[in-house]
Formats: sequence, C-alpha cells, structure tokens
Amino acid sequence: MSKSLLCPCEDVTVEDVQAAVAKGYRDIESIKRYTGFGTGICQGKQCLHAVARELLRLAPVEPAAVLPFTPRPPLVPTELSLFASVPVDESQPPAVGVPLALGLTQHALRPEAPVGPRAKIVIIGGGVMGLALAHNLAKRGETDVVVLEKGYLCAGASGRNGGGVRMQWGTRSNIELAKRSIELMKQFAGEMGINVWLRQGGYLFLAKNAEIAKRLERGAALHNQYDVPTRILSPGEARDIVPELSLQGVQLCAYNKDDGVIFPWPFVWGYAQSCQKRGVRVETFTQVTGFEVHAGLIRKVKTDRGDIACDQVVLASGAWSPEVARLASITLPNAPYRHEILSTEPLKPFLGPLVSVLDSGLYFSQSMRGEIVGGMGDPREPAGLNMGSTLRFVARFARALTEQLPRLGQVKVLRQWAGCYDVTPDNNPILGRTPGLDNLLQMSGFVGHGFMMAPAVAERMAEWMVRSTSDELFSRFNLDRFWTGKLEHEDMIIG
Amino acid sequence: MRRLRSHPSLSARPITLELDGRTVPALEGEPVACALLAAGERVFARSVKYHRPRAPYCMSAACSQCLMRVDGIPNLYTCQVPARAGMRLERQNAYPTAKVDIFGAIDFLFPRGLDHHEMFAGVPVAEQVMAKVARHLAGLGLLPERAPPERAPAETLTTRVAIVGGGAAGSNAAETLARRGVPYFLCERDEVLGGRLLLGAGAPVLAVGANARVRTRASAFGLYADQAGRYLAVVGVTPEGPRLTKVYAERFLLAPGGHASVLPFENNDLPGVYSGKAAGVLLARHGLVAGEQVALVGHGGDLYALARQFEAAGSKVVAVVDLRGVPPADAPEHACHGTVLKAFGHAKGRVSGLGFQVSGKQRKVPCDAIIVCLPSSPSFELARQGGARVSWSAGMDSFVVEADAEGRTSGSGVFVAGDVLGERSAEAAAASGQRTADFIASELA
Repeated sequence: MSKSLLCPCEDVTVEDVQAAVAKGYRDIESIKRYTGFGTGICQGKQCLHAVARELLRLAPVEPAAVLPFTPRPPLVPTELSLFASVPVDESQPPAVGVPLALGLTQHALRPEAPVGPRAKIVIIGGGVMGLALAHNLAKRGETDVVVLEKGYLCAGASGRNGGGVRMQWGTRSNIELAKRSIELMKQFAGEMGINVWLRQGGYLFLAKNAEIAKRLERGAALHNQYDVPTRILSPGEARDIVPELSLQGVQLCAYNKDDGVIFPWPFVWGYAQSCQKRGVRVETFTQVTGFEVHAGLIRKVKTDRGDIACDQVVLASGAWSPEVARLASITLPNAPYRHEILSTEPLKPFLGPLVSVLDSGLYFSQSMRGEIVGGMGDPREPAGLNMGSTLRFVARFARALTEQLPRLGQVKVLRQWAGCYDVTPDNNPILGRTPGLDNLLQMSGFVGHGFMMAPAVAERMAEWMVRSTSDELFSRFNLDRFWTGKLEHEDMIIG
Repeated sequence: MRRLRSHPSLSARPITLELDGRTVPALEGEPVACALLAAGERVFARSVKYHRPRAPYCMSAACSQCLMRVDGIPNLYTCQVPARAGMRLERQNAYPTAKVDIFGAIDFLFPRGLDHHEMFAGVPVAEQVMAKVARHLAGLGLLPERAPPERAPAETLTTRVAIVGGGAAGSNAAETLARRGVPYFLCERDEVLGGRLLLGAGAPVLAVGANARVRTRASAFGLYADQAGRYLAVVGVTPEGPRLTKVYAERFLLAPGGHASVLPFENNDLPGVYSGKAAGVLLARHGLVAGEQVALVGHGGDLYALARQFEAAGSKVVAVVDLRGVPPADAPEHACHGTVLKAFGHAKGRVSGLGFQVSGKQRKVPCDAIIVCLPSSPSFELARQGGARVSWSAGMDSFVVEADAEGRTSGSGVFVAGDVLGERSAEAAAASGQRTADFIASELA
C-alpha cells in the first residue's frame, strides 16, 4: 500500500509528521516524541534532515527556530558487553556528561506575545504534575489557570523517566496514592482519547543482602494489608517468572503482578490537550524569572514574557522547584540529583516484569516497543541540575545488567539520556501551603516517582483547592514537617 | 543484482552462507548485504510497524533497512558484516517468511497509517486486545541465544589530536599533522580510508605519521569527558573481536562527513530504492550494478556523474529527475527538471517503475532501481556533544555545524572539517581538513 516514509526505521510517514504539526507541535524534539521518528536503530541519521525540511514546508517556522534533537550517545549501536569492559573509578564522582550545554539565554521557540496580564491560578511547571493538576482543576470548573513550562512538553523528568508504575511502597500514603494512580491510568485512554500502553507485567525486586531482604518482607506484609498482592519469592520461583535471570547471590525476591510499565509521554500530551480544550492556557518555552510578593502573598509571577497577576501559585517544577522557590526567598529542603537511563535495540517480548535490584539501584524492563529500558543510581552522584550523559553510567549499568541477565551481553545500546530526581530528606513529597507565603502551594519532591503519583496526587490537590475540603495529605507532607521533625521515611526508592 | 564482469572484488574466494536454512553464494570478505543482493535476494526483513519489505538503502550503517540476525545476534548491519563461510543469516520480523509475511496485511488494512496514539483509545476490550497484539508485533530481533565470550578490556589511549573520519577531509588533516610532527589518532568506520575518494580513480595512500594511530572499522560513538579530560569513545572491530577504546586528546578534529537522507515520496522505502552513495559504493567498491533500468532522482553534481557511471556499467538510464533545476547540456538523454511522485512495485516488494511530474504532466517509466541522489546530511552529532552549535542552513537545506574559517566551533577544542559543514566537493573538503589541521598544529606548537 502506498506510503511516503520519513523514518523507515519506525515506519513514520509524511502524514504522521503532518498530523503532529497540525496538533501544534513546532519543534523537532516534540515531533520526535509524538511521532517516534528518529527513535529507531539509526537514531535519526536518515530521517532527521527530511523531517526538518517537512516542518519548514508545513509550518510558519523560522529556520533559526529549527533545532536538531539532542544527539545521544552511543551514535552507533554498541553492545552492552563492550560497555561492561570499561573500567570505572568508583572513588571519583561522575563527570558532567554530554552534550555540553550551549549557554543559550533564550529558547529559539519562545513566543513573542506577552503571557499576562492575569490568571487566578498560575502553575509553574508543565510536567505531568502541573498539567494533571490543571486538568483536574478545569474538570472541577476552575479554568482561569495558566501553566508555565520553560521548555517543550516532556522536556523534564516527565519525559525522561522509565515509565515504571508500582504499588510496592514502604508507607501507607504512597501505597494508597500509587493504587489510585494505577486505577486512573487504566481509565486515562477512555477519558483523554490517547493510549498510554499500560502493561501490568509486575515488578520483581531482588534482595542480595539481609537488610534489603528484611525490607522486602516488611513491605510485602504492609502491601497485603492494603490489598496489594505482593508475594515473597525464592530465587527459584523468580526464575519461573524470568527464566533468563541469573540469581546468584539473591536471597529473596518480592513480586507484585499488578505493577507494571507504561508509556509516560501520552500523559503529558493528554493532560495538556484536555487543558487546552477546557480553556486552560499551557505556555511552553516560557520561563519564570521572579515573583512580586506583598504582605505575605505572591501578587505577580514574573516571566520572560511579562508579568501575570494571580491569586494562587502552584510550584510543580520538580527538580527545578528549589531554584524557582529561591526566587520567592523560600528555601526548600529538596535537591536535584541526576539519574541516567538508557534504551537498547527493540527485541521481541521476553521480559515480563520490571526487575530491580534494590541493593545497587539497578532496574530494567522491556518497553511496549521491545526495548530494554533501565538505569542505576550512582552513590557518588553530586547534587545539581545536570542532564548530561556519561560513559561511566553505561559501564556501571552494563556490568550490573549483564551480571543479572547474561544473554543481554550482545544486545546493543541505542541511546542514553538523563533526568533529575527531586530528592527530599525523607523521600516523601512536599505538598500544601508554604509557611510564610500562604498562596504558594507546593507540589514537588517526588524523588523520581512523581510521574506515577501524578494522577492521584493531582486529583486530591484539585479537590482540596477547589472545594477547600480538608485532606490530611497536605498537612502530612507539608513543608513545616522539616522543622517540626515529624518525618515518615520512605525506603522503597530505586536508585 | 548484476556483478561487473571484471572487478578487483571478484578475486576473493567463493564461499557459501546460510540464509534462513538455504545456501547462498558469496565472496569471502565482501559485505553480507552485497552477497545477498548479488544472489538476487530482494527482501532482507520486514519493517517494525507495517511489515513493509526492507532492503539496503545506505550501505553505510546509517539506516536500518539491511538488518538481519547473524550467527544468533539480532539487528546487525549486513552492509558492514564481512561474509565468512558458513555464516548463519536470518531475516527478522516476518512470519512465516519475509517474502510471504502475513503481517504485511497490516500495511493494507491501514492504508492511511495507524495512529497508535488514538486507535481504540478507551474502547473497552479492543484497547486491551490491541495492547496484547502490539506487544507481540513490536520489537525486531530475538534475544541472543547465549552470553557473549568475555570481551577484551577497554583500552585507553592518549594523543594530541583525535581525528574522526578518514575521508577527504580527515585523511588530509592526518597528512598535515604527520608532516608537522603532531601525534594523532584517526578512526574510520569503513575498512579502508578514503571515503568518497574510493569511488573515483583509486584509493589514496595515507602517509601515517610518527606517533600516529590509524584505526579502520572503528566508529566514534561519543565525545565524553571525565576527571582525566575529554575523550572520544570508539568501538572498533579487531581480529580478536570488538573492542572499546577511549581516546583522550587535546584537540578533536571531526570530519565524519554526512549521512544519506531519505527523500519522501510514495513507496520510497521499496527494495530497489538506494541512496546515491550506496549505489556508488556498490558499483565502485563491490562491482555490483544496482539495476539494469535505472531511474535517478535528486539534485547536485553527483546525480549526473552517477547516471554516467551506470551507463558506463552497461545499464540503461531511464530517467534522471533533477528536483532543483534544468539539467546541464551534457546530461544523459532522459534527464529533466521535475518532481518525484511515486515508486511502483511488484507484488513481491521490489521496484518496478517511477512516477514523476514534468511541466505539469505526469509520467511513468519502468525501472528496477531508483537512486536517490541528495547532498549528504551533515553528521553533526559528535560536534554537538562536544559543545558546538548546530543550526539550520537555508542555503545548504541542512543542519550544519557553526564554525569559523579555521574550523573552530563553539565547543572548546572541538574543530570540524569537510562535509559536516555542509556538503562540498572532495577538493574543498580536503582543503578544509588541511587548513584546520594546520591551525591546530600551530596552536599546539
């Protein structure tokens, strides 16, 4: 059947790119994510220029605003076993990573028109948190809302995470939020008209030391109390689930069949589309530069496209939240930490669950498209907003992964990237009012699992904001806990 | 695909390969893709979503159309794998075979494409069924059968200048550095240096300098940094197997050239549609003539040069469609200024004709190969990783690395030369390599 291909690796046609442009996407990064072009084995070598030409033909875009998507290493598909052969000096911290920042002050795609003058609620951060909240507010009739996003949709952690969703948490609050989120994720396509490809293949946690083993056992008992069917498995039982696994040194495993993986980007697009349909403005490529504060309240949000007067401000900037809060002279206790991740060539399905070794922070799963997607935390990672990619990460990850699943040795890595965890001292979020700045609402500090919590958190937050009902979530996780000292530590963090 | 009657490649030892259990003749050491094309194999695999037939397009590891499972390893570029006796090749993503693939029905059932974002979204049952089906249709190769043998530990080298690419620009840069006594490292993806120079009169002989290291079949895949400095990460094929090399250098001279871009027109992915570069490589390097009745489309000087090469090789050039302007006076007979509309194909999935438009009139010519001859798309990736600015050049109609006359970019210590600045002649590329190397040598003196 006749088709005009722009990306033969992923079968992306001219019509697909036209549809993305018609949806309003004007930058190559967004068109890449929406159509999938450039994500195949050649990583854009044969299609990128052709897509750029198509964009220039279709839309009134200045050539200066056409920028290539970030060229991720490795530029040629390279075996995991070769990465595993690279020596790593564990005594040194990881390097900054590539690509190096260009130091551009203004995004080429920033709209010229002013963003103001007024909105009842300004949400800072167009990631899944901010957009889910805006959608939930609009659904409840509150549409005088502006969402400010400094990059493209999916530029931050919402577009950079591995798509894992799980109910296996260490505290009641997180178990309940995750359960509700997964329920909402199942309804998402029906409500929003966009597929999210939830695959409940389970999460399989492996414990290699006694402390972690105890933590998994304690967790399973807690999960069962809240109707989460987590089971403790012997290494032999785990091998029945993933026959290719090497389970040397594994003491025990925890498995919940209802956990799974999902495609994160459609959430961002779906919520954004719903916002726009309901009259909520989503302003991309727009950066917050400061606040006008008077008598304990934020009166205006200043941006690089002018000021917006407002009644309430929601800080939903994830890893950037401390930086944005500082503009209002608020010091947050959270700090950003880079987490690197990679994706391999697509293979036919063989791996059911997301597998995670809590001892090392290794995790990997097979995406709907067949790629092995995984990462691993680095204990030497310094705090800081850094999204560069390092060879050190791939080397450490490849060694850990091929030890766990040796047959992946000759599977090739296609691309690596990084995002930032937004880490709080007790691994729990910061929600609710800001002491001393009453109309600044916090919605950050999700320590790498904000994406999976967003649907449930946003629902409760919108309800709390619109109906002024009381909700213990917003006092339990209030910023003031870091001064009053009532901390409830979450210990099921991967990486 | 026809082999030339006389070509240096023919002196190689005849061997056989095993393709899906059948025996296929080959010449030892030639790329597996060449052997299969010469043996008349047209369909190498099926595409990931619509199960459309796939066959080599670029012959330079920069598309994905020639991938196969080779000796149990999925998704290998058969255009890069040298043929060895008894090699086991398997086509991927096709059931029961690539020629008769029942999932090819997807292509016909969804003539206007399949929107994976919105299809069946929220439709009860259908949505779940689709998710299950999609998971099993997704992916290309199968998991390798076993763990690989232990790899040689990655090696670390230190030099003053690291050069990427051994084409006109890179080779000349290397010669300049050698002349000026500057130690360098050079890596080239191909098995020989020369790039497009190999398509002309003969391969240049590179005078390797003292303290120089030249690696062929070695590709730079990243320009990283750590506490010890900046380095290229290079993956190379050695007689002992693949090996990863870190090359620390004070300057990086990037001359990787460009990639073959697709040209969108209907059925531009049919087997039998080749990039100009691929057609040139097949003919000059491997003595293979891409078609007997050849239609060429594109623009630039190479378009006509290639048409003449096909004529010289005994093929009939049935059309030369220049997308940019009126053909020169000495152009082949069937040259015209027009637009390309459509490739026609046989049921078995190979080119049978080209439809195009000239002065408002639609025309169709029968052909068995379509050659897409466009200026190469600059390979800016390494330079960008190293901090160089990349922007769209309306004049070049491509992304280019921004650099000054000496090849200096906004990335500290990162220089570029040759086609990565936008396609130019081999002479101009060579001159830019020499100029940049001279500048670097003076800086380092």
